[in-house]
Amino acid sequence: MKSQQKKYMIEISQKEIEELRNSVKATSRKVMAENIARMKKTSKNRPKAMEYFDEVADLFGKREKEIQAAKESGKKVIGYMCLFAPIEMILAADAIPVRVNSGWYDTSKLGDRIVPVEVCPVIRSTIGAKMIGLSPYLELSDALISVLTCDGMTKLGEILSDYKPVWAMPIPRVKDSPQSLRFWRDGLLTVKGQIEALTGNKITRKKLKSAIEKTQRATKAFRRLQDLRKGNPVIMGRDAMLVNQTYMWDDITRWTEKTEALCDELEEKVRRKEWACSLDAPRVMVTGTPMIWPDNWKLPTLVEEGKPQGVLVADELCSSERLLYDPVGVDEWTMDDMLDAIGERYLMASTCPCFTSKDGNVDRINWILNKIKEWNVQGVIYYVVRGCMSYAMEYTRIKKVLDGINIPVYYLDTEYTREDVGQMKTRVEAFLEMLTARIDI
Amino acid sequence: MSDVAQKEDVEYWRWQEYHRVFSNKKWKNKDIITAGVDVGSVGSKAAIMIDGEVYSWGVMRTGSNSPESAKKALDWAMEGTGLRLNDLKYIVGTGYGRVNVPMANKAITEIACHAKGANYIWGPSVRTVLDVGGQDIKAIRCDETGRVTSFLMNDKCAAGTGRGMEVFADLLKIPIEDIGKVSLSVEEEPPPVSCTCVAFAKTEAVGLLRKGWSKEKVLAAYTRAMAVRMSNLISRVGLEREFVITGGQSKNIGIVTRIETILGVKCLPTPNWRENGLDPMVAGAIGAALFAKALYEKEQKQ
Repeated sequence: MKSQQKKYMIEISQKEIEELRNSVKATSRKVMAENIARMKKTSKNRPKAMEYFDEVADLFGKREKEIQAAKESGKKVIGYMCLFAPIEMILAADAIPVRVNSGWYDTSKLGDRIVPVEVCPVIRSTIGAKMIGLSPYLELSDALISVLTCDGMTKLGEILSDYKPVWAMPIPRVKDSPQSLRFWRDGLLTVKGQIEALTGNKITRKKLKSAIEKTQRATKAFRRLQDLRKGNPVIMGRDAMLVNQTYMWDDITRWTEKTEALCDELEEKVRRKEWACSLDAPRVMVTGTPMIWPDNWKLPTLVEEGKPQGVLVADELCSSERLLYDPVGVDEWTMDDMLDAIGERYLMASTCPCFTSKDGNVDRINWILNKIKEWNVQGVIYYVVRGCMSYAMEYTRIKKVLDGINIPVYYLDTEYTREDVGQMKTRVEAFLEMLTARIDI
Repeated sequence: MSDVAQKEDVEYWRWQEYHRVFSNKKWKNKDIITAGVDVGSVGSKAAIMIDGEVYSWGVMRTGSNSPESAKKALDWAMEGTGLRLNDLKYIVGTGYGRVNVPMANKAITEIACHAKGANYIWGPSVRTVLDVGGQDIKAIRCDETGRVTSFLMNDKCAAGTGRGMEVFADLLKIPIEDIGKVSLSVEEEPPPVSCTCVAFAKTEAVGLLRKGWSKEKVLAAYTRAMAVRMSNLISRVGLEREFVITGGQSKNIGIVTRIETILGVKCLPTPNWRENGLDPMVAGAIGAALFAKALYEKEQKQ
């Protein structure tokens, strides 16, 4: 690859790369420590089991070393940007899956050297992280699965292919038609072959079954956690979001055990009526652009540290609850059936706004309505970063639907920056004030 | 910009700082005396209420230090009343600097306070409030009690705000208090400037002046663009009558008239604040003082 002319990336001196990486890394360490400290302070009865997730949230810590060691022993690492990448196949080939989207604000400014500022900051920031070799998981990836969902993701894979083998997985924009399912299944088979070629491991029936069972157990733990958020707040939303998000890079079996242990502790707290915050705190749900640790923790922080305080009880984010909510449902453990089940789990269950149908993206609307009802949501924050077209455009429809059931929704647009926190605080707090009965004369 | 002002020794952007006391009212120790302090990015306002009735207020520029500005504004509202800080039973801070109001018992956003304040100034028929502050604009919907039902806020940008107007007053050398009247003095309304970004609009304005446009015409084009931007925000939140404008720009007749034309609806008239009426620029502080009274009473009950 080195001898080839780069398609997008510019030449930066090794000295500049190192200086930038060190400075962004230092800021990031500070931000991570501060976020965790604030989360500890906010929750009245923070579960002890959170300590594990606090540790695994360190992007330059134990998990990086673990993956490094696994690589040295011959394992391959496969990165992905969108959660349509078939994790079960990666696991079945004895490789390590990691999601590599960037939540670093500072690197989005570096990405501006390659693409214009109008581009979604999640994309610009991931490009910037690659430019300075910041993200351990992106750096450790031997190949990347790039699912062609939104425009930004489509081009991101293309840009990253300046550095790594990138396997593009096209996705049909309409889910429920026979040709879409065939098209998607063909794509899965292609990726299966690519994974096998890279790892040198054949994805056998037995191995795939065991991988599916592994993610099924993870889904079970994941669902148990989200179900615990239906009642009085026993865990702060930020804590739950951190647990959900660490699934993107942690060892899946260990993550499952730790999440089950957390749920055991939470159930005990429910019995003892030890709540995480005041029962008067308005119950908020967020939906929209993914929010990625560590920098893009701005909105959850403003909600849960707001005056008045709110609590995030649910979300519809591909960086959190959408990750694992749907299990792979297998009827017969044949190779064919398992591939069908994987295909359906990733395609049919997705509520990503890249999809449409004759009724629009109804799956997303149903998810949101269901969450509002079952999680007793009192208000929705519709979160969009500038440049995120699909989410921005779907707002109009979601607002109409929510107006129809008398649930307040607030459109919050922002950027990968720390500078607008003051202004965002006013917006978020005014929305929370609106939701609470405290501001009543 | 301020360099120019200093050189010529005239600060066109400087608006009037003042305070008012309704001397026909008297306070007694047993009264519930509350205050609202609204520290905005450009102006700091404080209002004092006796049993939920406005007694006095002060309006001044915000300095570089929010706590200091809050204290000065409150001191000014108390000046000549005999009141001291200790006499105030409860204080609510609001505005951009609300978390930096040291004497406040509680902070509430200016969005809730402006709706409440507008309800007090104009009465329960108010349903839509446009608050044009120094740094941002907010379109607020409320119910008959002044409680917010929905709102929208412009993004982080000075376009269409009081700060933008100050920049233009300075550029065109027109005193800020005359800017509305002057913008309406053109015979025919020019097309709005195409860019609402303050920095770019300034460049565009300089270009228009060079092209031979009168400064009145340039001002009209800029004011028009600002009014369009504000009207769009109101349309997006949904306009329901009665409609009022609060914040510093409620005093800009050029803005008010143009918004009325664009939306095809009359605002409820601005009280005559120069004489005995309430000042819509103080609406946020008034709302904060009302919340302060309610919170004080709630606290007493507990």
